[in-house]
Amino acid sequence: MRRPRKSCPVCEMGVRQVDYKDERTLYRFLTERGKIIPSRLSGMCARHQRQLAQAIKRARHLALVPYVRGRSR
Amino acid sequence: MTRKYELVYIFDSTLEEPQVNERLERFHSLIKTPETAEPVTSASHWGKRTLAYPIKGKETGYYVVEQFDASPDVLSEFERALKLDEAVLRYLLVLNEGLPPVGVTAEPAAETPAQPESKPESKEAAPQGAEEGQS
Repeated sequence: MRRPRKSCPVCEMGVRQVDYKDERTLYRFLTERGKIIPSRLSGMCARHQRQLAQAIKRARHLALVPYVRGRSR
Repeated sequence: MTRKYELVYIFDSTLEEPQVNERLERFHSLIKTPETAEPVTSASHWGKRTLAYPIKGKETGYYVVEQFDASPDVLSEFERALKLDEAVLRYLLVLNEGLPPVGVTAEPAAETPAQPESKPESKEAAPQGAEEGQS
């Protein structure tokens, strides 16, 4: 039994290129620990998942998004 | 040959705006070449922001985003200057090919075709609507 494929949330937003500077959107695709949500769970298409992963890594470097969230300092 | 780049600086937030501008001025002089007299095509100051994690013991940084055209061979010297400057907590330099010009893309406006790009190898060269099939 196969579920119908979830539609890609980024395609639905009408975005062609994921922007690493837009951390509000990136947060939607991070777990509460700051991990990238796999496309198997988010239904992301492969192209956008790749772009998203790259964007999140850039945003992490720029301290827009944490590497690890909820760790006590 | 020049290429389009995008650069994000994170300056020490103890710096005031004039000091930041002064530094930007100095960095810009390094990417200037005879063919690109005015390299920076757009710049936006985000101002002071809280960092997601401390960098060099600092909790806040002053963000500046710039798009510029430069030839790849001046960049090594330019990046060296960025790395040497203690006021620059961190920077990110990426190729800006086909990305929408400024800021937020999470709105439908980003649907507009990619900027005219002379480089055929740009990954945005894919025909518009290519992703529809995969959604």
